[in-house]
Amino acid sequence: MTKINYKKNKLQIITFIILGALPLFMDSYYLDNISYFMCWTFISLGLAVIWGMGGILSFGQTAFFGLAGYGFSVISINFLGVAGVSLWSIVLALILTGVFGLIVGYFLFYGGIYDVFVGIVTLAITLVFETFMQQTAGPEYAIGTARLNGFNGMQGMPTIGFESIPFGLIEGVTQYYFMLILAIITLIALYKFKSSKMGLIFLASKEDRERVSSLGHNVQKVQLIAFTIASILAGISGILYTNWGGYITPDSMGLVSAALPVVYVAASGKKDFFSVFIGCIFFVWLSQTLAINGKQFAIIVMGFILVIATRFFPDGIILMLKNKLISKVKWLQS
Amino acid sequence: MVFLFNIFYQLGDSLAFLLLAAIGLAVIFGMMKIINLAHGEFITVGAYGTVVSGKIFNLPLPIAMAFGVIVTIIFGLILEKFIIRYLYGRPLDSVVATWGISLIVSQSFLVIFGPSYEGLQTPMGNFQLGEFSYSEYRIFLIVFALFLLLLLYYLFMKTSFGTLARATIENPSISSSMGVDVKNIYTATFAIGAGLAGVTGALYAPTMTIVPSIGQAFIVSAFITVVTAGASPFVGLVPAAAFLGTVQTSVTFFYKSTIGLIAILCAVILIIRYLPNGFSGLILKTRSK
Repeated sequence: MTKINYKKNKLQIITFIILGALPLFMDSYYLDNISYFMCWTFISLGLAVIWGMGGILSFGQTAFFGLAGYGFSVISINFLGVAGVSLWSIVLALILTGVFGLIVGYFLFYGGIYDVFVGIVTLAITLVFETFMQQTAGPEYAIGTARLNGFNGMQGMPTIGFESIPFGLIEGVTQYYFMLILAIITLIALYKFKSSKMGLIFLASKEDRERVSSLGHNVQKVQLIAFTIASILAGISGILYTNWGGYITPDSMGLVSAALPVVYVAASGKKDFFSVFIGCIFFVWLSQTLAINGKQFAIIVMGFILVIATRFFPDGIILMLKNKLISKVKWLQS
Repeated sequence: MVFLFNIFYQLGDSLAFLLLAAIGLAVIFGMMKIINLAHGEFITVGAYGTVVSGKIFNLPLPIAMAFGVIVTIIFGLILEKFIIRYLYGRPLDSVVATWGISLIVSQSFLVIFGPSYEGLQTPMGNFQLGEFSYSEYRIFLIVFALFLLLLLYYLFMKTSFGTLARATIENPSISSSMGVDVKNIYTATFAIGAGLAGVTGALYAPTMTIVPSIGQAFIVSAFITVVTAGASPFVGLVPAAAFLGTVQTSVTFFYKSTIGLIAILCAVILIIRYLPNGFSGLILKTRSK
């Protein structure tokens, strides 16, 4: 494990100080919006891990997003009133998602599925979930007391946290800080993962899988671990999203939703976690702003960003801007 | 007898849908190794081209269809020239870029034409067999799908363009040094794939309500058929479509159509895992033994 050099990461530290100070002079409406943008960063960071580091492009991260969202809803609705339900239901939902990620990853990497076929399999999985959930409108589709509700999706899950403590519920300012701190922890953990031995093997496997494994490293195991990390990160996004809006719908696992994390990561710069974090917030903000005139306009612009980014900025727009900024401002470098 | 025909009709309908959905994608993926996620939107363009020209200019259906196909080919050529051309040899990037194109096109159609567009009337009549009534046009689609496949086989296997195209795909640099204009071959192959998608859109335009997300109905079927078919589309497409059609029709028959879709999605996941080269790989392996 290498230590993080804080002198070299001034830009990151400044950004987080600014983000940390925002609640002091921002109205709760805008703060809630930024929380919404931030809840998408985890699924994007997960995609950046497998795609940016390992060259594994999954189109179906939304499957894990939805599984965690639905899992959290089903568990917490069934045990409404039991102490701390919203907290341990998160853990259970994430375990469920992680185990599912492990199974899918095992199936993929130990089954010798690579390149675009990983994308097709994961896309098929998320579409299976979407199609299944869409037709669960009838009363026969209920797990315990929780109705799955088909197209309309699930509602009525309790807010995460403790009601008895002031600011104990994950909403408003607490939600904002909760997500921010979780994001910082995730970023630091991912940087450590990237510079760990396992991370280096994973990075190398992108260039030449066979050579790395002929050097004696267990590539499949590393890919499996990275894929599971990515699925859990997607699950965190799913739970935070469900908690933020108080609902989860099958739409969140559809073809258009599945494209969005790919847009955020590709346009931001898949090789740099910090760029993905910032870019994700920026692009979700952008698409929300554009969606005021209709969701379709936002999606059109996202499509254009995706095409332009892959055609002209294959390393990502935000990463390029970040590098430009750092090279212009001497103080940030040392 | 009527029962048997009923099954044959349902199967044939499903087979034709899968074949026509996949055929353009199979050319682009099979020959160029480009994953075209905008394939469904090519079909949308073909369908809208047909319906809009048919409605506005009151064109007879075959001419409106031809118009739809030409519009799709032009659309494909423009995309190839400005975007796809730069992504040859970068398979993951080509997926991402074509996904972007797909978002742009489907949502633009939503903005321009609204959530649904009044369709054309299904041509040809119906015929009666026992107590059931069948559409003649659906039978025509089955025959046409097989005819299209034969035509493609002829084009890629028997003509000099086909030989050049296959040589280019096999080894672009050697072909280029032998004097083949590699760029033009790629462009032409892409245009053929786009044109075939346009044909599919035009053919199905009179049978369904035209909505901007019409491409999504095709793209999933197209992908699973191409993946099931494997590397050699001419060998694999028909058995793949027949297999998936059988799975879908029988599951739909016993449960409902959404479960049928889930069944073929699961089938394709298993095929990628256990038959990575698809049906064509299986067939070519047994033949070479």
